[in-house]
Amino acid sequence: MDKQVIVSISREFCSGGHQIGEAVAKALGMGFCDRNMLDEIAQRKNIRIEYLEKYDEKPRNLLLSRRVGAFSNSIEDIIAEMQFEYLRDRAASGESFVVVGRCADSVLRGRKCLIPVFVMGDEEDKIAEACRRYNISREEAAAKMRRHDRARKQYHNRYSEGKWGDSRCYDLCINSSRLGIEQTAVLLTEYIRQRAARF
Amino acid sequence: MVAQILAVVIFAVMFALIVWDKIERHIVTLGCGLLTLALVFGLAMRDGGAVWETLNIGSIFTPGFWYSAGINWSTILFIAGMMVMVEGMARAGFFQWLCMNLARLVHYKPVPLFVTFMLISAFLSMFIDSITVILFLAAVTVELGKLLKIDPVPMILSEIFCANLGGSATMCGDPPNIIIGTSLGYSFWDFLSNTGVMVAISLVLVVFYFYFIFRKELADAAGGFTPENLPDPKSAIRNRRDFAVSSVIFACAVVLLVTHAQTGLTVAFIGMAIALVTLLASGRHMLFLLQRVDYKTLLFFVGLFVVVSGLEQTGVLEIVAGFIGNVSGGNLRLMVAIIIWLSAVASAFIDNIPFAATMLPVIRSLAAVQGIDPATLAWALSMGTDIGGSATPIGASANVVGLSVAAKNGHFIGWGRYCKVSAPATVIVVAVSMLFMFVRYC
Repeated sequence: MDKQVIVSISREFCSGGHQIGEAVAKALGMGFCDRNMLDEIAQRKNIRIEYLEKYDEKPRNLLLSRRVGAFSNSIEDIIAEMQFEYLRDRAASGESFVVVGRCADSVLRGRKCLIPVFVMGDEEDKIAEACRRYNISREEAAAKMRRHDRARKQYHNRYSEGKWGDSRCYDLCINSSRLGIEQTAVLLTEYIRQRAARF
Repeated sequence: MVAQILAVVIFAVMFALIVWDKIERHIVTLGCGLLTLALVFGLAMRDGGAVWETLNIGSIFTPGFWYSAGINWSTILFIAGMMVMVEGMARAGFFQWLCMNLARLVHYKPVPLFVTFMLISAFLSMFIDSITVILFLAAVTVELGKLLKIDPVPMILSEIFCANLGGSATMCGDPPNIIIGTSLGYSFWDFLSNTGVMVAISLVLVVFYFYFIFRKELADAAGGFTPENLPDPKSAIRNRRDFAVSSVIFACAVVLLVTHAQTGLTVAFIGMAIALVTLLASGRHMLFLLQRVDYKTLLFFVGLFVVVSGLEQTGVLEIVAGFIGNVSGGNLRLMVAIIIWLSAVASAFIDNIPFAATMLPVIRSLAAVQGIDPATLAWALSMGTDIGGSATPIGASANVVGLSVAAKNGHFIGWGRYCKVSAPATVIVVAVSMLFMFVRYC
């Protein structure tokens, strides 16, 4: 990519958003940013990675946390802010990259090079994917899916002005069940190419 | 009855919204304050006098203005004044300079450093709000921790506790004390000679307690120390003139506060005078200091006092006072025990400022009905609300700020670790204060 492009992918649990993001990054020769940013943050701030992983993309506990001005006792809040700072720094460096989750659509909002995308999927497909990925029963997969999506929604809405999954907050909302993960990635790659040409 | 129900509902909604933390808390209290004026005083009571009394503007030029019910403007003016002074001190680098000098004074040895920072945290919090004290102390502790290769968490936890403890020693140390003092007409010295004595005794116990709890960490820390890397305390001073001026202003503020009963100056006047001098001395930075004032907190107080007035004017707080009176059967010891423990437990989980503002009319009414000295109950309320907040990470603002500073530097302190250390210390101090009050006042 000649010009800087940042693609933020918000996704439903087991909708394939992560794989689509990886495929797009690979196809366009861009950096890919997901949990791996925790390694860099841990190194930069000299923090044990387990701490970061434990609270990554988790909503804070409402009753156990409190905010005083810009300060919060919630570890979830502080780790989220560390990730947002990392994303802002990376975006400011001029690098093109794909980022999955971490409220990137909201954190980097206002940048012309940002293309926010939301990936969803049909419930049955997502449950089937969860059963296959975690080797669990259908009921367990459905419960896990609901739990994760609720947590992602809470996490996103805590730090963002727009609501998670609200089409007005994204340039593109796509159901990966329609074309499958591979073809969705191909379609998205082409969309990003065309968008980048207009930057 | 309708007015009482409305007042209680508005109060409960306000508390729930503060806990929910989605809407800024000054908007919450101001919104609920407006609802109190419109629904409780206007619609249900149809009492324009209650609105006037709550806004407390009519009596602005009378002495009663400073002690009457409704919006406690005295508290708000004093806090605003101190905010300006503290901003001036911070801008000059006073706090970093003080902390770095103290560290050098004890030759950066872990145990003396640990004890000194606890004591300075308590001392500064007697005059300056504990948020500012912890903000600077925790930041310096983290830096020293890096340079000296020691774990800063034990020091930060003990500093937080001592900041809350020190704040309860004086009238201006903690917002609940300012509210209690200005509402009941107590002086700085009244606090120092009552809660101050309890704090002095507790501080000795707390220093030993924290040393005992962290003795292993402190022993391990000894030896990993590299003096050549340490910065000169003078490097913290950003401007010599500003530094000298802010130090003199701080000293004057301390003298004026300690002697305000003798001079007859109200704390609101002192706060405003100190703010004015700070602003005049800051010259071209005046606008910067004014911009740094936390107006949201001041507005939070305005709304809060109106909502609490709703409970007071409708007689809800008299019912609560009557309930405490009945439960205690007129026994002063039982009343002290109920107030101090109730305040401590409540303040451990909810903001102690609204709690103190709510409980104040309760103890006033309780003292009047039972024919006892309101001061005894006031000291119980003060110690309970100020110390109780130390028990949990969310109990006091200083805790949140201290834990946040630590976490931003990679030192995460969860509920378990915090409570394991600070909750027993809170119980010790509350129990000691209660026993002291039994012996001295009951």
